[in-house]
Amino acid sequence: MHELSIAQSIVDSAREHAALNGGRRVLRVGVRVGEISGVAVEALEFCFGMTVKDTDLDGATLDLERIPVRFRCAACAHEFHPVEFLTDCPACGWTGASMIAGDELGLSFLELE
Amino acid sequence: MAERVEVRQNVLKENDRIAGTLREAFEARQILCLNLISSPGAGKTSILEGTLEALRATPLRVAVVTGDIQTERDADRLRGYGFPALQITTGGTCHLDASMVQRSLNELPLSGLDVLFIENVGNLVCPASYDLGEDAKVVVLSVAEGDDKPLKYPGIFRRARLMLLHKIDLLPHTRFNRDAAVADARRVNPEIEVVETSCVAEPGLGAWIRWIEERLADKRRAGRPART
Repeated sequence: MHELSIAQSIVDSAREHAALNGGRRVLRVGVRVGEISGVAVEALEFCFGMTVKDTDLDGATLDLERIPVRFRCAACAHEFHPVEFLTDCPACGWTGASMIAGDELGLSFLELE
Repeated sequence: MAERVEVRQNVLKENDRIAGTLREAFEARQILCLNLISSPGAGKTSILEGTLEALRATPLRVAVVTGDIQTERDADRLRGYGFPALQITTGGTCHLDASMVQRSLNELPLSGLDVLFIENVGNLVCPASYDLGEDAKVVVLSVAEGDDKPLKYPGIFRRARLMLLHKIDLLPHTRFNRDAAVADARRVNPEIEVVETSCVAEPGLGAWIRWIEERLADKRRAGRPART
C-alpha cells in the first residue's frame, strides 16, 4: 500500500506544473501506469480523491492510462504482449525478446482551466 | 477553455531527486550501496548477520540501515557485529523511500565506509518502485517460498541486479523448482545474476561475500579516487 505516497507525489507535481502555467485550476491529471509498476490503480484512484479533498485540486479527475507489458523481438522486431514473460516471439519463434514497456509510472498530461 | 499541457515526468520525481543526492554522496565517497528486498521471512536480516560476521575478518568497513514497520529488533540483532546499524521504523509505510534513508544518514556518518547495506521492509511490491540511490537492488528469494515468485512479482525481479536463492540447503525438503525459478527470473530480467546462499549449511554466504567485494572493486575501478 504505497499508493497514498504516490498520490501525494502526483498531486505535488500537478500543483507545481499548474503554478508554472499561471496558477490555473487543474481539471484532469493524466498518469501512465505500467502493468508491472507495482501500483494498484483502484487504490491509487481512492488515494488521489482523498489527497485532493478540500485542497485547490478538489474535484480534479485522475486519468489513468494502463500500459501493458510489451516485448520486442531482437530478431524480427515484432512487438507483442508476452504470456507470463515468455520471450518466445510469436512471429518468428526467436527467444531473444526484451521488454520495451510496462514498468512506467509517470505523469503524462494536465488539463488546466 | 480547458487546455491540455503535456508533461513527461516520473511520478516519483521528488524521491528520485533525493535518491540522486544519495547516489552522489555514495559516489563521492566510493561507497557501494546495496538495497536488499524480499518478502517477510525470506532471510534478509539473517543474511546480513552472516555477512557482517564474515566481513569482520576483512578490512572492509560497512554499515546497515534497516527498515521495518515497527520495532528496533533488526537493528538490535545487527549491532552485535561491531558495525553501525540504524533502524528506520516506517510506522506503517510498506517500503523505504529516499528521504527516510537520507534522514537516517544524519545519524550514520558515511565517512570511511566501504559498503552500506539497506535492508528494505519485507515486501516484494512497493520497495521496487523506490530508488534509494543504491548501486544495486538485491532480491532475496528463499526456497521455502513459491518458485513462481519471479512471475508473480516481476517488478522487483526486473529491477534487481542480483537474486539470492536463499535457504538453498532446504531444497531437498521442498517442492521448490530451482531451475524454473531461475529461468523465470531471467525471463523477466535476462541480466539478473543468481547466487545461492544458506546461513546454516553449505554453500554458506561465501559467493555472496565475493559478489559484494567484486562490485566494490568494480565501482572503485570505474570511479574517481576515494576521498572522505
